[in-house]
Amino acid sequence: MTMMVGLLAAMAIVLRASSGSAQTTETAAQQAFKEDVHATAGLTCAACHQGAPATYAALPRTAIAPLCGKCHSDPAYMKGFDPQVRVDQYTQYLTSAHGKRMSGGETRVATCSDCHGAHGIRRVRDARSSVAPLNVVQTCAKCHDDPVRMAAFGSRATPVKDWSASVHAAALLKRGDTSAPTCSTCHGSHGATPPGVTQVANVCAQCHVREAELFRASPKKAIFDQIDQPECLACHGNHRVEHPTDAWVGFKEPAVCAMCHDERMKGASTITATQKGLADMTAKIGAAEVVLTRAERAGMLVDDGRAALRDAREHEIHSRVLVHAFATKPFADMADPGVRAAQESQTVGERALHELQVRRRGLFAATVVIVGFLVTLWFKIRRLGGAGGEPHA
Amino acid sequence: MTSYQLRAWLGERVPVADIVEALRRKRVPEHRYSIWYYFGGMTLFFFIVQVFTGGLLLLYYRPSAGEAYESVQFIMTRVPFGWLIRSIHAWSANVMVATALAHLFSALFLHAYRRPREITWVSGAFLLLLILAFGFTGYLLPWNELSFFATRVGTDMAGTVPGVGHFIVRFMRGGRDVTGATLTRLFGVHVAILPAIATALLGLHLFLVQRHGMSVPPSVWEESRRTGRATASIPFLPDFALRDLFAWTVGLALLAGLAAFYPWELGVKADPFASAPAGIRPEWYFLWAFQTLKYVPASVFGVNGELLVVAALGIGAALMVVLPFVVPDRPHARRVLVWFAAAVLAYMALLTFLALRAQGGGPTP
Repeated sequence: MTMMVGLLAAMAIVLRASSGSAQTTETAAQQAFKEDVHATAGLTCAACHQGAPATYAALPRTAIAPLCGKCHSDPAYMKGFDPQVRVDQYTQYLTSAHGKRMSGGETRVATCSDCHGAHGIRRVRDARSSVAPLNVVQTCAKCHDDPVRMAAFGSRATPVKDWSASVHAAALLKRGDTSAPTCSTCHGSHGATPPGVTQVANVCAQCHVREAELFRASPKKAIFDQIDQPECLACHGNHRVEHPTDAWVGFKEPAVCAMCHDERMKGASTITATQKGLADMTAKIGAAEVVLTRAERAGMLVDDGRAALRDAREHEIHSRVLVHAFATKPFADMADPGVRAAQESQTVGERALHELQVRRRGLFAATVVIVGFLVTLWFKIRRLGGAGGEPHA
Repeated sequence: MTSYQLRAWLGERVPVADIVEALRRKRVPEHRYSIWYYFGGMTLFFFIVQVFTGGLLLLYYRPSAGEAYESVQFIMTRVPFGWLIRSIHAWSANVMVATALAHLFSALFLHAYRRPREITWVSGAFLLLLILAFGFTGYLLPWNELSFFATRVGTDMAGTVPGVGHFIVRFMRGGRDVTGATLTRLFGVHVAILPAIATALLGLHLFLVQRHGMSVPPSVWEESRRTGRATASIPFLPDFALRDLFAWTVGLALLAGLAAFYPWELGVKADPFASAPAGIRPEWYFLWAFQTLKYVPASVFGVNGELLVVAALGIGAALMVVLPFVVPDRPHARRVLVWFAAAVLAYMALLTFLALRAQGGGPTP
């Protein structure tokens, strides 16, 4: 009997809790929907939840994308809200790794509401949106950073910390550059899929146009194609794209050339020449900077030197890009004028320091003359005898 | 023509000998405060330096927003000794303000403004205001970031004057904001209007100084009367003139040293569309007023705080000019004036010190 009462009490508590929970969920959904982009467009719950309000229930996961696509793939309908709006999201989704699996009945993969939310959907340009540039990485990471979940699909997890250590993350998170690449920039958003070996360069080339052009025109292109190397990734990695340094060119750690090359192999002279060119330019620019700073601290104007140094730095940047030509001549054509500009800058600084010495020597000579004159005057004044006693009115 | 004949020819036409003779007869009192007599002469020396170096700078300077900065840069880097001329012009302007202030306060503390030297004082007070105006109008001419924004703040202050404030601001700026029109306007004032007025006032001031001679402080005069001994004096020529020359030479050595070891900076070119950088400040001699503005609340009993400061400065300047006519020539009044002037001087020094400390450095450069 006691057991029976206990069981009934427990059932009552569970039912109450469940009813309360359902109520809370519904209230939360209603609350979130108030700021939803659909609510602001004048849509109501019934737009998605067909049937009577009492039967509002979670939609089957396989039905979510088709439901969203019903409106978002209809240009005539969508134009009423935004004439520029795109309507290919559902088509794209069907081509994505997520969409293909979902169509096959695998409901553990992402669908629209997993990334955009269900009742609090905001525009992508709204910084509070889960797919806004600053948030999208964390949204993808909910699944892709989870080794257990990814193992179920025979994939490895992609740790967010890899991307967080990249130059792209630094641009977005430290400099606040919202155009910096996140997951969706390279993998796509609705049509998200891992780029294949041959497509990686195309992805990177979206932003790194010059580097891609140089690489495609270089002898490396054919070789990489032949050995199935993923072009940019071979040296730069994928998610953890670190800031390249001049030390990457060479035959010793941390040089990336050393992964495939040594001093005896073909192309070693190009690597050596490039390495030397970069080192020369950096050293010249550093030396010029030291001299110019010394001159400026001494109060000299060295604007010509600064202009030449800016020129040298521009050449340095272009030379680093020209490393992707994997050839000596184009690199030297850019690096040599840079070295000359750095030398010119240093000369301006040295000339200014020399001029400073001349000025100080001139001042010393002038001071000697002035002091001599002052001493003479002093003696003359003393000889005149100073004050007399003549009355003064 | 021999030199004797030349002198005779010249003496017949220009009464140089009479002037020299008058100066030879002229005597200057010599007492424990005599050192203060030399600051007026030093101010004159720095004024002459300003005229000379300013004239040389005019050969290359271009008064337009598009060319002013570049022309000063050209003067400092390409024109032979341009760096020296520009640095001496800038340093001399600052040292001149210091010697002018020293001259004014010494004249005040030694009561040199008394009858019959009231007009000498008034002309001197106006000359000090003119020197400050020279500083204000010249500050913008290199068209660098610091001078641009400081001029904007400085001209803004005039806008607080009720009724005519906005007209004064527009008149000073040549428009609503500080632009190339302001530069052209201030340049014209700096090189034509102010020098013309200053030359006339300086002529009057020097004439009156020669006419009335140097003032003997009341305490020295009283001492002389009590002891029955006449106040000592020295001939203007050559004794005083040589001592003046000594002081001028020290001034020249000071300018040369400052120009060689602390060349005046040019800074960054002004960008009217950029936001004001941190550390905007006027020249050191306006810092005390600048700091006062910081301490005064935005509104005092419903009156604009900035307006109160501007009004106080205006009243202070007016009182300075009419001082000989409002301070009776009595020992008690003189003592009160000395304490009041000392308090004003201490206030200016303290506020300047606080402003410099807040900025973490000395005056430009």
